[in-house]
Amino acid sequence: MFRRFVLAACLAALPALALAPEAHAQGGTIRIGMTAADIPLTHGQPDQGFEGNRFTGIPLYDSLTMWDLSAADRPSTVIPGLATEWRSDPADRTRWIFTLRRGVTFHDGSPFNADAVIWNVRKVLDREAPHYDARQVGLTASRMPTLRRAEKIDDHTVALYTSEPDSLLPINLTNLFMASPAAWERHRANTPNAEAAWNAFAAAPSGTGPFRLTRLVPRERAEMARNDGYWGEKARAERIVLLPIPEANARTAALLSGQVDWIEAPSPDAVPQLRARNMVIAQNPQPHVWPWQPCFTQGSPLADVRIRRALNLAIDRDGLRELLGGFMAPAVGTVAPGHPWWGNPGFNIRTDRNEARRLLAEAGYGPNRPVTIKVQISASGSGQMQPLSMNEYLQQDLRQVGFNIEFDVIEWNALFTNWRRGCQDASARGAHAINVSFAAMDPFFAMVRFWESKMAPPVSNNWGHFNDPRFDQMIAAARNAFEPAERDAALARLHAAGVDEALFIWIAHDVGPRAMSPRVRGFVQPQSWFVDLRLPSIQ
Amino acid sequence: MFLYLIRRILYAVPIALAVGFFCFMLVQIAPGDPINAIVPPDAPGDVVEQVRRDYGLDKPLPVQFGLWLFKVVQGDLGRSLATGRPVWSDLSTAIGNTLMLATCAALLGFIIGCLLGGVAGTFRGSILDRVATTIAVAGVSVPHYWLGMVLVVIFSVQLNWLPAMGAGPGGSSDWAWNWEHMQHLVLPAVTLAVIPMGIVTRTVRGIVAEIMNQEFVTALRGKGLRRLDVFLHVVKNAAPNALAVMGLQLGYLMGGSILVETVFSWPGTGLLLNSAIFQRDLPVLQGTILVLAMFFVALNLLVDLMQTALDPRIKRA
Amino acid sequence: MSSTTPTAAEAELAVQARQAAVRSQGYWAGVWKRVRRDPVTIACAIVLLAMLLVIVFAPLVAPHDPYQGSMIRRLRGLGTTNYPLGTDELGRDMLTRLIHGGRLSWFMGIVPVALAFVIGTTLGVLAGYAGGRVNMAIMRTTDVFYAFPSVLLAVAISGALGAGIFNAILALTMVFVPQIIRVAESVTTSVRNLDFVDAARSSGAGAFTIVRVHVLGNVLGPIFVYATGLISVCMILSSGLSFLGLGTKPPEPEWGLMLNTLRTAIYVQPWVAVLPGACIFVTSICFNMLSDGLRQAMDVKG
Repeated sequence: MFRRFVLAACLAALPALALAPEAHAQGGTIRIGMTAADIPLTHGQPDQGFEGNRFTGIPLYDSLTMWDLSAADRPSTVIPGLATEWRSDPADRTRWIFTLRRGVTFHDGSPFNADAVIWNVRKVLDREAPHYDARQVGLTASRMPTLRRAEKIDDHTVALYTSEPDSLLPINLTNLFMASPAAWERHRANTPNAEAAWNAFAAAPSGTGPFRLTRLVPRERAEMARNDGYWGEKARAERIVLLPIPEANARTAALLSGQVDWIEAPSPDAVPQLRARNMVIAQNPQPHVWPWQPCFTQGSPLADVRIRRALNLAIDRDGLRELLGGFMAPAVGTVAPGHPWWGNPGFNIRTDRNEARRLLAEAGYGPNRPVTIKVQISASGSGQMQPLSMNEYLQQDLRQVGFNIEFDVIEWNALFTNWRRGCQDASARGAHAINVSFAAMDPFFAMVRFWESKMAPPVSNNWGHFNDPRFDQMIAAARNAFEPAERDAALARLHAAGVDEALFIWIAHDVGPRAMSPRVRGFVQPQSWFVDLRLPSIQ
Repeated sequence: MFLYLIRRILYAVPIALAVGFFCFMLVQIAPGDPINAIVPPDAPGDVVEQVRRDYGLDKPLPVQFGLWLFKVVQGDLGRSLATGRPVWSDLSTAIGNTLMLATCAALLGFIIGCLLGGVAGTFRGSILDRVATTIAVAGVSVPHYWLGMVLVVIFSVQLNWLPAMGAGPGGSSDWAWNWEHMQHLVLPAVTLAVIPMGIVTRTVRGIVAEIMNQEFVTALRGKGLRRLDVFLHVVKNAAPNALAVMGLQLGYLMGGSILVETVFSWPGTGLLLNSAIFQRDLPVLQGTILVLAMFFVALNLLVDLMQTALDPRIKRA
Repeated sequence: MSSTTPTAAEAELAVQARQAAVRSQGYWAGVWKRVRRDPVTIACAIVLLAMLLVIVFAPLVAPHDPYQGSMIRRLRGLGTTNYPLGTDELGRDMLTRLIHGGRLSWFMGIVPVALAFVIGTTLGVLAGYAGGRVNMAIMRTTDVFYAFPSVLLAVAISGALGAGIFNAILALTMVFVPQIIRVAESVTTSVRNLDFVDAARSSGAGAFTIVRVHVLGNVLGPIFVYATGLISVCMILSSGLSFLGLGTKPPEPEWGLMLNTLRTAIYVQPWVAVLPGACIFVTSICFNMLSDGLRQAMDVKG
């Protein structure tokens, strides 16, 4: 019976080839083609990197502190979310007081309060908690390394404790999404164990976000509907549909054939075709850095600041941007000029090949004696942009200044693992630099883990074993600066010093290109990895 | 006959066990620590160890195999490292989708292949034969994922006749046999059908040509029997082998659709396998390959038994 | 089931081996005569030979450096001055890349089949000649691998081992070994019981001599022809692995990988982007037709 059916179906399909698919009724539904191969986890701590936070974190859930995603023309900063204000306790700098927003309810109707915050901290930090979920720890703990526990002060106030004074905690907390304890308990009552309860929760989650999940087909689609009871500005679109389309060409084809309204990361080569069909290409620099990270130990040519500076000056970032079809912003520091942490570096990173040659000559190298630098790179990877084309371009480009660049191409996961092992480990295979891109919206991830001596392997990502007491002091000062303005000033001094010492070979910032149908209105692409899905609507 | 049936089924058991062992070993020969697929490299060491214990990755190999086999027999293929969902829950929907795609492609390939092969075999050596065999060779020689990309550009992007990806407006879970959903099946099915089309054409051509050369067919034709009778005779004699080829092709398509599913984002086992490889989600890789291979073993058995039933002349040792 | 029923091709080859053995004098001369009269087979052979020559002498023939590109001239169309077939996404000459790419593509198409030919023939002849438990052990192991569709087997092995040429070759070899064992075993079995083999055995010739002189001499031809037909499959499989990111790694030129990296250019320079696919297609179709022609020529009835 089934076969006959299938046969009929196939035959029926043949003569019908010429029929055009009918337009689907829209009704304010935005269909988005993601780059992930699966719907990111929906239980509150998404996987799939920051694309997960972007699509199943921020729209479904809120965190105590949130990113301001409303403007395209200024750096995205931390703003109040489910907490309206916070301060560190002057008597005990490891203790923070957070005042919670009143009148917020979860999608299931249960109230958001201090108990819910404590429950959500315990889900990843308290192994004894009945709802502790090991799977969420890996996705969360490393993004808020100093948080230890939470304590209720009253229904609308909590105290959070850190392992050491850490002024960066409010920024880290953007990664802890608040799931509904009441909804989870209901799932728990119908399931054999906590893990199963979390799986059930993921299928029918409950947060406080501007959208609630209405349908989840793993690996195929997630549908979200507007939360009309949202505490803040409500979403304009009625529904959002998320579709995982990992293949770049398939994404482009899906947009061009009208199957989706918006795609993430179109390939640069498809952009002319997209533009010709009136698609809108959005882009904005992201807090992302695509660098070569130097090895500072003895024997590495990059231990010499003159060679690091020469490299920074020799790179033709505009040419690279052309290679990427314009989808890149030249990086002249970890953050861009104008950012609160920019500072005023004395070393002006630009393309100046003569100055680069002069510095090289000063260091004892020249056209007849090129300096050989071995860089460990990957062929692909999240945030790595187009690593092979870009590195090959740099290799060709730097040859004319007197750099002989060699590559050790390894698998992305291996490269990422090596990053924690350091340049003296056998895994580095004698490389003088490593090409791992990173997110830079949080000072710990942007600077501290690379430049503090105690972050050397195996602790964190100070791959090059950089060790300078001056930098350690500046970092300690930043950690202990609890006034935002004071903290930003300390970070700016740190960043300026880093640029002066050329602690990275800064090459590119990703601009997060996305293409959308002209029917999508009101979309704002902030200077962030994230977007505010409340803003766009469809016509 | 009955004895043969029993023996044939019993024979499949050790094969199935060996296939299981191969699938288990697949994960063991894989380089790298599977734990890296679960926790980010910058997670603290004690968290890594905790997760390792939670997933049973700290036990010795034979124990892991024993546990694994015990669970597999009960239908538990483990949990995806990436999503934490049971492998079977994703796999079961994926298999349905792949089966649908592969069946359509096999039927499409079979019908066209039989037509081409029949014509070629009947008029062997003629220009029709040349054309049909060339199409057949082209079918098995074309890199089909490339053909898929070209079809997308022509029919989805340029002409906008057919959707480029996915399994329908609501995903595969609310699939229905209407045009709105079925149009999603057309391009992948056509792309996937070129291989069985080529193989079936060649096989049918050979079978038909051989039967046409047999003396009694020549005699039948000489007696001026109606064409239809000759045709029926040919069909009757060619059916068992053609059926066998088609059955095996369905199996090959089930396992071979990975490239086509990737091109069309068709939510089947191929796409599942592809993402499992990229995320190094070894339980999913293992489970998918195991189930597809078992399906193939079962299909082989079925084809064999059907062939015997249809053509008692085939002697069985 | 494939594990008990030989496929049509295998049965055909066994018949041919027997024919070859019985009429060893003049049989191959006859085959050659028939091949010469078949223009399609000859044309395919010439195309392949020409390709082989170009590939072998790639550094002399290719107009540019296969690795040196330029951002200024990336993705130029067909017929550009100095770049007759255009340039790729890094501004490298397509003609040069295709010529050099042929090396790795042919390598990846032929080496696994050649390895499988050596291993498979050895094991298959051993199984076929020794019979009994040896046959049982070898053939039942083969059956296990036959339980996997070939694409699945290749993807499974190279997916587990990770990307790279070596792993891809290993995976592809494992795909073809069982197939060649099957054919070798069935042709050996059919030759083994022929009169002259029996005669040799009764005249006291050692097993090794019998295998070397009487068996191998007669089975190698048919197995070889079967193997040439596998080259086409192997090329498509290996380029498919590269397409999935499991085969060759950039910046090495290889047709499958070029197809992969150029596929986003299908909107900008569709004709340039399809060239590597066309190369795979032409090579693969020629190998197929060549193999068909040889098989037909060996079939005395046809």
